[in-house]
Amino acid sequence: MNRSSIARTLILILPVLAAAHLSAQSADDLNLQVHGYATQGFVYTNHNSWNSTDSEDGSAQWTEAVVNLSVQPTPKLRVGVQARYFLLGDYGDKIALDWAQLDYKVNEHFGIRAGDVKTPAGLFNESQDIDPAHLWSLLPQSVYPIASRDSLLHHFGGVIYGSVPLGERFGKLEYRGYGGARVIAGSDSVFQPLRDEGMTVPNGLRGPMYGATLRWQMPLPGLMLGATADVERPAGEIDMGPLQGTIQSARIVSPYFFGKYENSKLMLAAEYNRIPVSSTIQFPGLPAIPSPSDYRAFYVMGSYKIAPKLTAGAYYSSFMNRSAPVSSSRFQKDWTVSARYDFNSFLYAKAEQHFLDGTAIGFNASDNPNLQPTTRMTILKLGVSF
Amino acid sequence: MTAPTHRRIITRLSTLLFGSLLLLLPAHAHAQVLVVANPGVAASAVSRAQLRDVFTGAASGIKGAAQVTPVLLKDGPTQDDFLGAYIGKSDTAFRAAWRSLLFSGQAVLPRTMDSDTEMVEYVAHTPGAIGYIAQTSPHPGVKILAVR
Repeated sequence: MNRSSIARTLILILPVLAAAHLSAQSADDLNLQVHGYATQGFVYTNHNSWNSTDSEDGSAQWTEAVVNLSVQPTPKLRVGVQARYFLLGDYGDKIALDWAQLDYKVNEHFGIRAGDVKTPAGLFNESQDIDPAHLWSLLPQSVYPIASRDSLLHHFGGVIYGSVPLGERFGKLEYRGYGGARVIAGSDSVFQPLRDEGMTVPNGLRGPMYGATLRWQMPLPGLMLGATADVERPAGEIDMGPLQGTIQSARIVSPYFFGKYENSKLMLAAEYNRIPVSSTIQFPGLPAIPSPSDYRAFYVMGSYKIAPKLTAGAYYSSFMNRSAPVSSSRFQKDWTVSARYDFNSFLYAKAEQHFLDGTAIGFNASDNPNLQPTTRMTILKLGVSF
Repeated sequence: MTAPTHRRIITRLSTLLFGSLLLLLPAHAHAQVLVVANPGVAASAVSRAQLRDVFTGAASGIKGAAQVTPVLLKDGPTQDDFLGAYIGKSDTAFRAAWRSLLFSGQAVLPRTMDSDTEMVEYVAHTPGAIGYIAQTSPHPGVKILAVR
């Protein structure tokens, strides 16, 4: 076990040890809470297999189950751990740690959390995989691709957070600063384009990362504008048949700009994100292979609560890899309409229709020998949370 | 385009624009709810912004009381009145937002009470607790916070 593995293990164990130490107190004193949710999705596409599911025939290979354990022994201290079973086509099918952290909030202006923590980038990154929190079965895939669980969701390290009041006329500024190490498992979908080229990243990529997010809660109630700068530098090993080499990225600086308005039954949001990647693949004795990408994505969305238990919405999402050769696999445009019905506080159902032009996200060449440029996709989902 | 058709289009656009503006107006209707707090909470009033922040998990204190603990009511008319008047979210969106905070590790869920009676009882005996009840409900043992 190398030093980084030991450090990571300690980071994961720390909250559990703290929880065990605190268990001498009663569950009520600790404010012990156990929550969870589970979802089952069904996806059908008129052609093209989506994210390695057999969606052309209708597929139910989309299951998630989450268990959350939190204690708050004092108003300022929280300790929590969350585990997740995730299955989507060939991805996942295992129980993994979502996050495990200690959180100490000194006051409104400053708090810190440490461990395996969610990365507070963009508008929805911290909540992008929390199905009960959203109307949508799929958030805009241009910015929040569902099959990539490691590339942006969480990191090993910490987050500092807080807010600064700007007075009644100017609202409030919320900040998040984060840093640590990102570990992307070799099975993550972010490597699918490499796999399609016959290359694998057996031990995944890892590297330092840091960033900051500002959210301006404006004087008009419900209106927020924000921005994130995320910096990463992943590196690792890469295999191509018998060849073993390295893959290294120059510093990746990704900006996010976003806004959200929420008032009673109405929600409007928009976000722009750019990820310029300049990677180099090097096999011994061979010239270096440059692997540039320039991902640009945005979406606009709106939803409205039509009836006490029924919410509906629509979004338009756009993705473009400006470094890729001109073809339908360099872009994706997605018109989506969605509805959610809450039977009660625990049980809900979702229905969603996507009209997709382009195959850049979710449609692997290896699964689709006859890849079609456009796809219609229907999603049904049932969820329960407690 | 004929003049009547032109007028009809302008009328429809005006209606649509006016309707959209109405949607954007904050809900400031007079609330049929009382905001109640444990007698130990050293504040007699709370601003709408502070109330919204506390009940959405964005803040843990109000002016005059650095640490307060929000307590929720289950679905119902009082809950809807409170959310509509002070939080600006539907019950679905409100609970979804709390789940988002919980499952992303940013908060634990507030306690939820089944009735106004239970709310009053809990708030009266829990230091720092802050909740809400229907205006007509009895409220012995708790203090009423004015909302400004």
